Amino acid sequence: MKYLLLSFMFSLFSSLAHATPLDMRLEARELIQRAMDHWRGLSSYSEVSMTIHRADWQRSMSMRSWTKGEKTSLVRVTKPKKDAGNGTLTKDNNMWTFAPKVNRIIKVPSSMMSQSWMGSDFSNKDISKSTDIIDQYEHKILQIKKQDGHRVYIIESIPHEDAAIVWGKEVLRIRDDFVLLEQQFWDQDNILVKTMQAREIKKLGGRMVGSIIRMGKLASPDEWTEMSIQNIRFDESFPDSLFTLSSLRNPRR
Amino acid sequence: MNITLRMAWRNLWRHKRRTWLTVGAMIFSNLLLVFMISLQFGSYRMMIDNTLKTYTGHLQVQHKKYNDDPKMRNSFDNIIALSKKLRTQLNNNNIAARGVAFAMTSSATRSYGLQLIGVEPEFEPNVSNLSGLIRQGHYFSDSHAQEIMIGRVLARNLDVSIGDELTLLGSGLDGSFSAGVVKVAGIFESGNNDIDRSMAQLPLGYFQSLFSMRKQGHNIAIVANSLAQVKDLLKTVSSLITERKELVVLDWDHLQPGLKQAIQADIASAWFMYAVLIVLVAFSVLNSQLMSVLERTREFGTMMALGVKPLRLGSLIISEAFIMSSLGLLIGVALGTVTAYYMSIAGFAYPGLEEMAVKFNMPDRIYPEVSLLSIFLGPGIVFMSSLLASIYPAARLFFLHPVSAMRAV
Repeated sequence: MKYLLLSFMFSLFSSLAHATPLDMRLEARELIQRAMDHWRGLSSYSEVSMTIHRADWQRSMSMRSWTKGEKTSLVRVTKPKKDAGNGTLTKDNNMWTFAPKVNRIIKVPSSMMSQSWMGSDFSNKDISKSTDIIDQYEHKILQIKKQDGHRVYIIESIPHEDAAIVWGKEVLRIRDDFVLLEQQFWDQDNILVKTMQAREIKKLGGRMVGSIIRMGKLASPDEWTEMSIQNIRFDESFPDSLFTLSSLRNPRR
Repeated sequence: MNITLRMAWRNLWRHKRRTWLTVGAMIFSNLLLVFMISLQFGSYRMMIDNTLKTYTGHLQVQHKKYNDDPKMRNSFDNIIALSKKLRTQLNNNNIAARGVAFAMTSSATRSYGLQLIGVEPEFEPNVSNLSGLIRQGHYFSDSHAQEIMIGRVLARNLDVSIGDELTLLGSGLDGSFSAGVVKVAGIFESGNNDIDRSMAQLPLGYFQSLFSMRKQGHNIAIVANSLAQVKDLLKTVSSLITERKELVVLDWDHLQPGLKQAIQADIASAWFMYAVLIVLVAFSVLNSQLMSVLERTREFGTMMALGVKPLRLGSLIISEAFIMSSLGLLIGVALGTVTAYYMSIAGFAYPGLEEMAVKFNMPDRIYPEVSLLSIFLGPGIVFMSSLLASIYPAARLFFLHPVSAMRAV
């Protein structure tokens, strides 16, 4: 019994001793970079269903999405039938949307970037600029917590003075295997406005990813949007022609 | 005529010039007050009319959640049928149904976010004036036409003219994608850049199919014959929609709370100026009455020695003030009313008004509103305060001793 306690103490001590040098090496910025890389891969293909929930109604749609690098992505709605074919292309912080009903491609103006994306709680900006956080913010590790056998880094990111960012700060929780558990958006009066949480973490496409992600505003708890990843594959090679306006209009895949 | 009044009358005309000067001050201030207050009331009515005319109307029937939370989902069903029913039951054609949505509007080169109003083309011109402000093109030919009416600033921003196509992208009532192509039918210019930049109208029938709204809509605007009838109309309309539990009727005060507050703030600042004017007049009455009492000390002493009670002398002084105030009131109100009435027909303008009027989307002439209230409110207060001002000189008589008074210089 005495031995058991001693060995437990020892193991606790050694794990603490072990933790410190690793944290020193992993800077906050690098953690975020690796979490983003982990999430996006060099490229990725995924099948996602999105549920928009409101107090008195709910609506789901399915979509397919391709990403390449940090700044290029294509999303296309497949279900329901009424909305199938609607798509969004983002490239270098520009965004275009295609509506089959009018057979037209429209560039989303910067004044509309904070509007909702496809009627969800995600804004156009959330969709197109998800990696902006790395360069436009100052990062600091606030705390390291133990949770379910993992270390969880809590990082505070404050935008640079001159960055065109509406948020006062963001707080990220990243697990030691680079799964982004939560991203909080705080306004400039230091009030938590909305939060994006991984509600289920699963092995998909060979790595641990947040497979159900919910975005919700704190002011209205019964309004949220949930992205559920059905299927994801990483690091496949896609031709550049996939991420063009003509491919947005005419699906070849 | 009672003897006190007759004495007061004669006393006044012992000093014609002084009486006329005091009365003149009252006439002038009354004339000014009648004119200013009528002008003020007239400009408020104009402000209300012009603000409500662009969109709001006097009353609106809405879903009860809509005013606090103007979301697309807070709509109500069978809106066209309901607006038709209200038109026949109230025998009033100034009633029109609308839908409201937000959409991204794109021309070939540019895109802007825009508030879209779906309207009934036959009745909307009765409740709002945008259709009358069309500078190019025409209003909608039919309720299902794929047409849009936009403001001049937006037309310039989007770089489109009559007949060009615009693409609309938004979310429908069921959350689905809404997309449509519409032709620019008309371009209006309201004079208000905000409205000309961010508001557009579509025919309601097409609007409902574009945003998957079936028979739904967001408000029914109602315009009364005059502002004064709004309250009664509100009661009538709410009694007509009692079986639709989800609906409420709201008046313009609830729909545009800023408007009444702006008017109240303006009234408060105007009354500060009027108060200064009234206080000045009251002091001039006080001054001349006090003087006339002091110079008649010996006379009053003699009268008291003959047995006249101080109460009687006091009421003599007050009667003098009463006669002067009445003269000031009658002549001032008569002149003021004539001036205000003339202006209410011819209109009133001053240099610089035109530029200001354009900024606030108002006509370039103000028409004073002549009513019993606007005529008698200011002069009535002048009348009362002049009487109050004569209390002090009158009260002095109660402390007069006949013997020493008769010997006063």
